[in-house]
Amino acid sequence: MSTLLNDVYIVLLMSFLAILLGIVCAFYLEEWLPKTNWIRRLIESLLSVLTGIPSLLYGIVAIRIFFTDAGALKAIRIFPIPQNAAAAPLHDDSMLLYAGAATFIVMVMPVTIKTTQDALRSVGTPIREVTYALGASQWQVLTRQVVPLALKQILAGGCRAMSRAFATTALLLGIYTWHYTSEPKEMSNRFILFLGMALFLSILSSTLTEMDNSSN
Amino acid sequence: MNYSIEAENLNLWYGDFQALIDVNLKIRDGQITSLIGPSGCGKSTLLRCFNRVNERYGNVTTHGKIEVLGKNIYDPDVSLPELRKAVGMVFQRPNPLPISVYENILFGLRIHSPMRSITRAESEEIVEEALTSVFLWEDLKDKLKVRATSLQLEQQQKLCIARLLPLKPKIILMDEPCSALDAKGTRAVEELMEVLAGSYTFLIVTHNMAQARRVSEECIFMFLGELIEHRETQALFEDPEHEKTADYVQMRYG
Repeated sequence: MSTLLNDVYIVLLMSFLAILLGIVCAFYLEEWLPKTNWIRRLIESLLSVLTGIPSLLYGIVAIRIFFTDAGALKAIRIFPIPQNAAAAPLHDDSMLLYAGAATFIVMVMPVTIKTTQDALRSVGTPIREVTYALGASQWQVLTRQVVPLALKQILAGGCRAMSRAFATTALLLGIYTWHYTSEPKEMSNRFILFLGMALFLSILSSTLTEMDNSSN
Repeated sequence: MNYSIEAENLNLWYGDFQALIDVNLKIRDGQITSLIGPSGCGKSTLLRCFNRVNERYGNVTTHGKIEVLGKNIYDPDVSLPELRKAVGMVFQRPNPLPISVYENILFGLRIHSPMRSITRAESEEIVEEALTSVFLWEDLKDKLKVRATSLQLEQQQKLCIARLLPLKPKIILMDEPCSALDAKGTRAVEELMEVLAGSYTFLIVTHNMAQARRVSEECIFMFLGELIEHRETQALFEDPEHEKTADYVQMRYG
């Protein structure tokens, strides 16, 4: 049971980081870089590619990177590892978690960036224009109008991204459970927990969207 | 007679397109001046130069000098918040912020003053004063907590004017303020302008020549980025000096 909670804890922590990072990136792209900036256009097209990739492919790439190349494995040891790191075998449980978490970030971030950008864009030009015309600085326009108006949509987007990641993980866990594991009981517990999280987050996301629609 | 706005050799480009060509003008203090001309002649662009909201669109190059209230607003030491505090703007579509009527009126003031420096009593007084001066207090005194976007269009536009007043602007720029309103709303906004003129300098862009004739003391005719004629309204309409002005005011095109 303790490993079970550990999983959820790590995944929640990582998705929190991923979403935070994604939101910061989205603000930078959308509010600071002009639309014609070539870096912005490059990043945005790369992001559309990333959001379109099926999550299974992320998993395969992650296995190649984290579990066959010792160098890459060391690269993610910036996190504290509760064992002698140098001696840790490739199938070390904590390494598995960190590898999973890193993949999770790569999977969740592009989706969060996209949804946050959409949310920021949904705060129309008239509102920004009039706030500037009243003498507000860019920071004031963001903190007093744009963020309060886009907040629910941003959160809903974050929840949706997490829900997607949880659901995919649950699916893979399910397949794994029924075919390979020696401890089907524990694995199916994980499966149910992940599926539950996915369901919860997707409900949360639609509730937020609904609240946003009814308040406008 | 003093001038609130003086522009000298003002040229403006959007990318390669020159939208304003050598504009020279002087706007009198405390009067209503209207800008007329066919679509795309640069009147909105000119208006947006005076509080520098133009620059937000990117790719805008401005040359020349604009003095607002005796200070060149393109000097490097000009503070945009202060400039926009002194030069208020009303837009084509009524655009109250999606917050309560009360907060809309206080919004500008809150931007310009430190956090929590306005007491409750003060703010109530400011709101009442602003709404009274646009003749909305009687209608809205029980609706102060209502979301401003749910009001009638006419009330919204008046609220947008009221929102500027607590900042004590000297100049109010209006970009076709009545084009989204019906005849009654237009009349109400025009009456409001007539009452407020004197304490404020109004510069209004309009497509409606009858409106320019009704409300403004001076009138500016623009054509393809150039300022063609700037005279007293009555003179401009009845005895235009330039052929282009004559064609336009007699509605041969436009």
